[in-house]
Amino acid sequence: MWTYIVRNLFNSLIIIIGVLTVTFCLLYIVPGDPARMMLGQRADVASVEAVREELGLNKPVYIQYVRFMTNAFKGDLGRSYATNREVIATILEKVPATALLSISALFLSSLIGIIIGIISAVKQYTFWDNASMVVALFGISFPQFSFGLIMALVFGHLLKWFPISGYINSGFIYLILPMVTLAFRPLAITARITRSSMLDAMSQDFVRTAKAKGLSTYKVVFKHTLRNALNPVITTISASLAATLGGVFFIEYIFNWPGIGLLAIDSIFKLDFPMIQGTVLFSAIVFVIINFFVDIIYAALDPKVKLS
Amino acid sequence: MQTENSELVKEIQQDDKTRSLWYYSWKRLKRNRLAMAGLYTIIFLILIALTAPLISPFNPNQQILEFAAKDIGFEGDVLIKKSNPDNENENKYIAVKNIIREENGKLFFTDYTDKEESINTSELEFENGSYKQKLKFYLGTDRFGRDVLSRLIYGSRVSLMVGLISESIAIFIGLLLGSFAGYFRGSIDKMVMWLVNVIFAFPAILLIIALSVVLGKGLWQAFVAIGLTGWVDIARIVRGQFFSLRETEFVEATKAIGFKAPRVIFRHILPNCIGPVIVTGTVGLAAAIIFEASLSFLGLGVQPPTASWGQMIFDGYKYIVVGTNWGLAVFPSIAIMVTVFSVNLLGDGLRDAFDPKLKR
Repeated sequence: MWTYIVRNLFNSLIIIIGVLTVTFCLLYIVPGDPARMMLGQRADVASVEAVREELGLNKPVYIQYVRFMTNAFKGDLGRSYATNREVIATILEKVPATALLSISALFLSSLIGIIIGIISAVKQYTFWDNASMVVALFGISFPQFSFGLIMALVFGHLLKWFPISGYINSGFIYLILPMVTLAFRPLAITARITRSSMLDAMSQDFVRTAKAKGLSTYKVVFKHTLRNALNPVITTISASLAATLGGVFFIEYIFNWPGIGLLAIDSIFKLDFPMIQGTVLFSAIVFVIINFFVDIIYAALDPKVKLS
Repeated sequence: MQTENSELVKEIQQDDKTRSLWYYSWKRLKRNRLAMAGLYTIIFLILIALTAPLISPFNPNQQILEFAAKDIGFEGDVLIKKSNPDNENENKYIAVKNIIREENGKLFFTDYTDKEESINTSELEFENGSYKQKLKFYLGTDRFGRDVLSRLIYGSRVSLMVGLISESIAIFIGLLLGSFAGYFRGSIDKMVMWLVNVIFAFPAILLIIALSVVLGKGLWQAFVAIGLTGWVDIARIVRGQFFSLRETEFVEATKAIGFKAPRVIFRHILPNCIGPVIVTGTVGLAAAIIFEASLSFLGLGVQPPTASWGQMIFDGYKYIVVGTNWGLAVFPSIAIMVTVFSVNLLGDGLRDAFDPKLKR
């Protein structure tokens, strides 16, 4: 087990180095002079030179690269062009809002997705199965921002059930629309995977045996089939985390939820490159770290995963 | 489903001719009604995109500012100027409230600010016994008074083009890297998989956004940004296929004959993994269309005034916030959804058709 953890840790580290390298390249190929962008077009040559010196922009690429990497490992992602605040401090401020939204959406989508998947598999080819699978395909086909807009329109403007903009500190009701919108896509994916994985398990001999023994449907479905069908579902849910992390950007923008997504989109509109880079980097690293833990939990739960 | 399959098996057994995998896959696909509905919708959309200039009621960039942000089915009166070959871009329509009188070859009318104006009748089209013509905007107009229906029709071009081209880029890179990784294994495989994992670590949409911010706004930047992130899934699938196909007898045989690696890869192994690649590519196409819309939503993809669905949604979003003209955002949303939904339906059907053992 320990060798497995150490090896996974090493792999994750290598991926993080790759992620850092890609983000470095992203900022490096931005057209224009970062020092000028920080100071604005009217700044005098001397102060631009001073900033170039301070940021190491007059050094060769490889020195800039080493500098970027060491700074990044120390947690220093530079300063925002727009506010001149430290990027990492601004991002960390926004983490709780995004975490709350993503985790609640992931929880909602997993719970309902698995339930719908089970019902569809048990009642295969009935009305409920077909209807929920069409809805699930629908969920995969809708871009999250336009789904968000339609949710805002229907439940916010026409029915006036929920507020369409605001943060949880004004009440739980503010969480509902963004959460449901964000949950829709992972819910659809989870439901589809659960269904096909359940169907796979149900066609196997041990399920037939269980049925032949005269066990109740409840026991056959939950004790025998579901347990064996859950592996791909768990993989999908951990992959859904990536989808929620990606989807959260538009949802936060549309519902004005003050998290990392809103920050990222605002900085895209302002062309605040360090902030864009910071949010991209941050999401990718969070994803790698979460995956690392998911792999370990997975290995601990499932003896079939090769540890060697 | 079960009986349909056994019918197909019977048919195959009675058929004396040996036919290709494609033939049977096509047969299976044709039986899947949902998938065929998806395929027909896609063909329909492609036809719309190709014939956009013929079928759209207006030029998509034609502005009539007096008719800005009108509701569905709005009808407005205009005077139509004769087309002027010297100045093609001149505004063709003059919005008009009332025609007052015609005098000495001049037409006097009130415009939308109730101001009296006049124009030479020789410059105007005369139809159905009047200079005043009615224009109908079936889906209303946007904030510049452009016809929403025409912009929807033209927007299909951008969506389909970006989807197809960027997915082609993705498939090209994915095939190349995936097959090298799967064929040579060892350190090449390790490097490719490292790259795959690194790209995979980024939320795809974010990486695409960051790439297009860096590359600048525009159409080809969108192709590149979406293509450069989309190849990962293809590479994985191809690599997996190569791992299993590499052990088969026919690959052994090619090696025994002494074929060089490129010939074995491209002539012998790759054609055998086209099925899964098509399926993954279809899913990728659906994703690429969504990504394109997301980019235009952020103002990064195709630049105005070119019509694109994502941009229309972004413009309409401002109206939803105030609670008017919801159609501006809803119609392009529906257009994207229908497109992606049919691509996904086809993708599901293709998966079943290529691999009948799998269930939906």
